Amino acid sequence: MSSGSNDDYLVRVQAEIRADADLARARTPLPRRDPPVELLRAQGTDGIERERLDDALDDLTGTHYIAFIHHAFRALLKRAPDDAGCTAQLRVLANGASQAEVLGNLRWSPEGRRVGARVRGLLPRYALAKIVRVPVLGYCVEWGIAVAALPVLMRHQRAADTSVAARFATMADTQRERDGRLQELGKSVAELPANLDQRVAEIGTQIRGALRHLVILEQRATAMEARSSTLAHGDGERAREIADLRHSVHTTNHWVVSLQRSLGMIEDAAQEQRLRAEQLAVAAHESTGAAATQHARHSLWANELATQLPAASIVLDLGSGDGTWLDALTAHGVAARGIEANSVWVARAQARGVQIAHGDPQDALARCPDASLGGLVLAADTLSASNVGIAELLVHAQRTLQAGGCLLLRLESGMMRVTRDSALLLDPAHWAAILRGAGFALVSELNCAGATALLARRA
Amino acid sequence: MLVPGLAPHDAVSNDVRGMTAALRQLGHEVALFAPHARGVDESVYAPDAIDAWLHSSDDMVIYHYCVGWDFALALFRRTRARRVVRYHNITPAEFFSDWSPGYVDACAQGRAQIKAFADLACDLYLGDSPFNIDDFLQLGVAAQRCAVLAPFHEVEQLTSLEADPRRLPEGAPLLLMVGRLSPNKGHLNLIDALAACKAGVAPDAHLLSIGKLDPNLARYGDALQDRIAMRSLEANVTMLQDANGAELRAAFERADVLLMLSQHEGFCVPLIEAMALGTPVIALASSAIPWTLGDAGLLWDSTDPHLIATAVARVRSDVQLRATMRERGRRRYAEAFAPDVLARGLKSIMTRFEAA
Repeated sequence: MSSGSNDDYLVRVQAEIRADADLARARTPLPRRDPPVELLRAQGTDGIERERLDDALDDLTGTHYIAFIHHAFRALLKRAPDDAGCTAQLRVLANGASQAEVLGNLRWSPEGRRVGARVRGLLPRYALAKIVRVPVLGYCVEWGIAVAALPVLMRHQRAADTSVAARFATMADTQRERDGRLQELGKSVAELPANLDQRVAEIGTQIRGALRHLVILEQRATAMEARSSTLAHGDGERAREIADLRHSVHTTNHWVVSLQRSLGMIEDAAQEQRLRAEQLAVAAHESTGAAATQHARHSLWANELATQLPAASIVLDLGSGDGTWLDALTAHGVAARGIEANSVWVARAQARGVQIAHGDPQDALARCPDASLGGLVLAADTLSASNVGIAELLVHAQRTLQAGGCLLLRLESGMMRVTRDSALLLDPAHWAAILRGAGFALVSELNCAGATALLARRA
Repeated sequence: MLVPGLAPHDAVSNDVRGMTAALRQLGHEVALFAPHARGVDESVYAPDAIDAWLHSSDDMVIYHYCVGWDFALALFRRTRARRVVRYHNITPAEFFSDWSPGYVDACAQGRAQIKAFADLACDLYLGDSPFNIDDFLQLGVAAQRCAVLAPFHEVEQLTSLEADPRRLPEGAPLLLMVGRLSPNKGHLNLIDALAACKAGVAPDAHLLSIGKLDPNLARYGDALQDRIAMRSLEANVTMLQDANGAELRAAFERADVLLMLSQHEGFCVPLIEAMALGTPVIALASSAIPWTLGDAGLLWDSTDPHLIATAVARVRSDVQLRATMRERGRRRYAEAFAPDVLARGLKSIMTRFEAA
């Protein structure tokens, strides 16, 4: 008991409480319920099945950089890396450490020891890496190893030179090909308005012609009406008028067919323009290289969203792209449905076996019943690439989300056309203000690999 | 004012905002610099721009030190302006060694910089509490360069909110804990104390924990759930990770006690919230808690579950004790932590620089 700031009254009360506590301790021990014995047998010391704790060193060293760190955390600590841990291990790699050393650091950390994963072949490699760190002795050992391995290193160096050169050549070819494709698509898109203008002019001419026919028809009908009272003019004159009328009907019919054909051509041109715009969006996305880092951030965001969702939630993903984000959600146990307006993305996703519905995101959201969703995912690029009204979308989000449901806003520049508004559309502070204004409580700002996602909760 | 980040409902951010307002009241021109900011209704500049604002040795940089940040250390090494370290403390890394290597690295890096800042002989080291400032005194910083000023806070806004009890549990006694789910906050001990309460005081005793769990500490969250299951307390614990101000206000109103068994606090804002709202406090006498609580609560140097449970029972049943704790809590808040008291304290501290 601390007596520094309490006076006599509290000191007396505390002494009485302590005496009562001694009696209570003897009278009522704390309840304790142990887990079932079968569960303990099936699990290791940390509640992890034994089958998940076996790996070989080669299984863990097949990847590089962030993918390697993620793989190592999953295998050795049975969890996704936290930001600080990931950064720390990347720093170790950047300082020239071997992958074996990073794996060893994780395996024999307090957390790694508790998990107790077994990695065949890791211990000698890790021990060697640590010996190299010993002053003087380590230096000598490293020299010895380096000299002994020199022929092998030189062979690897030559192989690496060739590999890098080949890679550069491939990359240059790919880049040239993409540039050409982008140029071609850009040109096509630029030409489309001119074609459309020409079609509209043709339709105008035809409409004017049709109007002239209509005027003639009207005049003739009036004339027929006037003459109907004077049938006595004889059968020959009536026959001529009927023939004239038939001719006019045929002419009008011909014009209607022509008009239908023109309208079909306009619709085809619009469809073609839409498809090219979608292809352009996909090509632009691929040329940014954003896909290279999206796995890591999608995994982080999906993990955070899965943690925050109410139980048994259904998540609607508006603007699913090629479905990689939907994959990440599914991998984290989230029941999600995806909607994508771009048919090229939808086709690609379906080719990979990911089911994404093709349709207008705003329309899909508007059709959802009230309080039917546990989570909703929006992408800033979807908002920028379409005419979706942000305010209307957020009103629908409030309506369709359950109380406590989550809204994840992905601020990725991957598919976004660079415009004056791009920076604003990717600004977390801008979106945080909008979300708050729409009645959402901001839960967290998730930064990863240069992109941000805002996680908010419906009040 | 330099800070590693600004966010709503964050103790350090509240201190930054309150101190900024108080300094402006005193006639100073103040600008905020942070790498990222949310919930701030004024311009916040990128830290890289700060050098352009510091023209003379009469200017001042107040750095809110709560994490390791190389940028701030480098700035303090090069600037000719007056340097003030506003120290909010950093949780020792050992609290996280069983739970998160990332936290261990971050906390170790943050605490390693205490010595670096101490060696700089800054113009002022301003701690939230005597416990905080002791970190610098032990490293040889002269006492004349040190001062204590409790953090500015939003307790007044909390007391003005209308309570929203709709999501609160009904159990009694209701034990309240406010603070993020973190190993240093003593949640495992809270659960044991609740078990002792349930066994010896009232079978429907309930623990309401208000605070978030960082996904990086998911293992600690799992350990809490395991402990709850082990003590058969699934129906006696409610964890609200997304409570708003109105719900927090209702929680303080409904709770029988605020139970604070945290092992490391640089100040502990929930204590002054409880004092201002008249909720009795039972706490572990660790770190800055005894200074913040003063004579307004029951302090213990043990987390023994039976001791805590017996104290809860006594507070519930002893009307005079409850009234005494409430009266002392309100007085302690008004005398030591009310906004005008803090503003006067800051003004007094700033006179040091006027004299210089």
